[in-house]
Amino acid sequence: MSNLASSTRMNQSRSILSNTIPQASPATLIPPVENESIAIDITGFNAFYGSFQALHDLNLKIPNQKVTAFIGPSGCGKSTLLKWCNRMNDIVPIARATGSLTVGGQNILTRSTDVVDLRRQVGMVFQKANPFPKSIFDNVAYGVRLHYKTSRSELSDLVEWSLKKAALWDEVKDRLKRSALGLSGGQQQRLCIARAIATGPEILLMDEPCSALDPASTARIEDLIFELREQFTIVIVTHNMQQAARCSDRTAFFFDGKIVEEGATEDVFTRPRKQQTEDYVTGKFG
Amino acid sequence: MKDSVAQPRKHRSVARRKLFNNSFSVICLLVSSLAIVVLATLLVAIFSTGGNWLSFEMLAGSHRENNPEESGIGQAILGSLVICSICGLVALPIGVGTAIFLEEFKPKGRLLRIFHGLVQLNINNLAGVPSIVYGILGLTAFVYMFGAFSPIRVNDQPDHEIGATYFYQTKTLGGQYVRFPAVPLIQPVIKIKQGRNASKINGDKFKLNVVSASTEKSKYANQVNETVLLGTEAKLSSRNGNQVYEAKTIGGDSFDFPAEATYSQFAKIIEPITVSNSDGDTFSLNVLSKSEPIPTDPTILAQSVFADSPDPNKRSSASIFRENSLFHLHLPFSKSVLSAALTLALVILPIVIIASQEAIRGVPQTLREAAFGMGATRWQVVRSAVLPSATPGIMTGAILAMSRAIGEAAPLLAVMGGVLGTTNHLSSLMDKTPVLPVTIFKWAGDENQGFEHLAAAAIIVLLAFLLLMNSLAIFIRYRYEKKLS
Repeated sequence: MSNLASSTRMNQSRSILSNTIPQASPATLIPPVENESIAIDITGFNAFYGSFQALHDLNLKIPNQKVTAFIGPSGCGKSTLLKWCNRMNDIVPIARATGSLTVGGQNILTRSTDVVDLRRQVGMVFQKANPFPKSIFDNVAYGVRLHYKTSRSELSDLVEWSLKKAALWDEVKDRLKRSALGLSGGQQQRLCIARAIATGPEILLMDEPCSALDPASTARIEDLIFELREQFTIVIVTHNMQQAARCSDRTAFFFDGKIVEEGATEDVFTRPRKQQTEDYVTGKFG
Repeated sequence: MKDSVAQPRKHRSVARRKLFNNSFSVICLLVSSLAIVVLATLLVAIFSTGGNWLSFEMLAGSHRENNPEESGIGQAILGSLVICSICGLVALPIGVGTAIFLEEFKPKGRLLRIFHGLVQLNINNLAGVPSIVYGILGLTAFVYMFGAFSPIRVNDQPDHEIGATYFYQTKTLGGQYVRFPAVPLIQPVIKIKQGRNASKINGDKFKLNVVSASTEKSKYANQVNETVLLGTEAKLSSRNGNQVYEAKTIGGDSFDFPAEATYSQFAKIIEPITVSNSDGDTFSLNVLSKSEPIPTDPTILAQSVFADSPDPNKRSSASIFRENSLFHLHLPFSKSVLSAALTLALVILPIVIIASQEAIRGVPQTLREAAFGMGATRWQVVRSAVLPSATPGIMTGAILAMSRAIGEAAPLLAVMGGVLGTTNHLSSLMDKTPVLPVTIFKWAGDENQGFEHLAAAAIIVLLAFLLLMNSLAIFIRYRYEKKLS
């Protein structure tokens, strides 16, 4: 099934970009992971903010083309791990990490990693929707213009595809040139998802994408995640355990900077192996 | 479970608290109206003194000595505009670039962080420095250029110059002005007018000191062997194959210095040379010897001069003139529009930097995170995410800085002097020009009663400019904020 899905992904997301040339160097840093079953491989990973250790000796394998959820109480390090997956912590001067975090077979913690290309292939959606103060079209086209040379028609095709995939096209198709800030919160978050998938990434990281949204928008985005799983590997951090139970294939439970338990979602929620996990999923704390 | 501690018995009076509250509001109101009263008084005083004197002729004319009715501020307005434009062209790119560097490109290494902190500290301090200090700075850095070049004297050629043509001009017997180009030559004898580097016979180098005849001997008593009187003649000779000028110091030591080609003040016309007249025609000058009769034909007369003769009535010599092109520049800049503009740029630079920094800081961090997350490099983040959002704040800061620049008198007084009216209009960057604030200062301090009114009228014009610029700043901010939200 994964082979079929990956070839579908080749056709759909890559066909539009097939004639384009990435503005980065011709040999992409991270080869496509269709034929691998592990998207992100984390071994012996420690993360620090200055002298405070946020993550202790993590070992985790995130499978390809599945939805993996990170759950756990506040401050346990889930967002930190997520940010390290596309090196977003570079903008925090005191953040550093040791160990190995491999995306597509290459350790991205080295100094020689091309961070710009990494972020083309690992997209991110943030907790609070942050569209640029530009038009809807320019928002979705932002990443594409950064990394690819496209003609105008290719670009508008790609924008249309991204917005359709993000289930936003019908609502904005007649006002693409208007400012993105005029959209509602749920629409803005879907716009951010469209913006993230427009560059054709392998992996999509989502940091509590629905925490600032009303239930109706949340439901739409959860449906979206379900559809997107065929083409992207999705890692989602969530506080909402029911959301994790609904959306994800695999779950990792974090506590105090360590992974307490990790496995198929069904197993973690219905047959947890550790007492702490059971306490958390039944709502005894957190 | 009831509390064992009861509330205290003594109440504070509610009426008294309310009274304090109301009187505080009243005091604040009075204090703010004081500021408005001061402003209103100023405006009333200005308008009553100078309101009648505001007219179109005043706006367009230029300063006339001792004649307030005919004076105007046309030249001053033009001068202010020119100086402020150049000042803006220099200060704004540097200021915005520095702000971007300080805010966006914060270094991680320890040494660079210290440098970064020092720059930030210095800029914050410079914003509060009195502007006369910038005037002295401009004097040293732009006018005299730290003494690296010899100072410019009136009627003397500067050492390094471009864009100026020198020519000799004389009047023919027929009354026509003709000119021919001047060539610098090494004169056989020159008069020493300014200090320079010289060397003694034995090869020692020293700095020659020049004093005027009226200076007390005690002032240079300990340097008699390195001093000459102003105007001492030096003769051309050669030493080691180089041409030098030789002279003696007051103390009797011989010294020499390298000979440079200069323009002489006068040129004697001995033989026919090609000249051109004001219409642009060129012809050969008809030189008459002292014994020849004066021609009668007016055309020939117009092209004739006497050769140099002992008879002062028959002598013909041409004086040197200089014509400046638009790109006339010399080093050091000396007191000129360019020095004034650069000094003013220094004055407003800290303001521009601080205002731009505030604007850049106002851009929410989430916007930068979004751009970084999309894979933009640092400069791309600045250009595509930060600068568009920060532009209204930067523009407002720039306009406010320019409105400060237009009103600065102290640094311009130091760097350009109190120029009131120039006979020629502004032709190059090396000219001096009157500016509005300096003109107001000079007129307000003038004993002649009439100029006081004119000063008030000029103040009205200056205030109108400031009001216009501030309104523009507010309008731009309003439009951009509408666009962004």
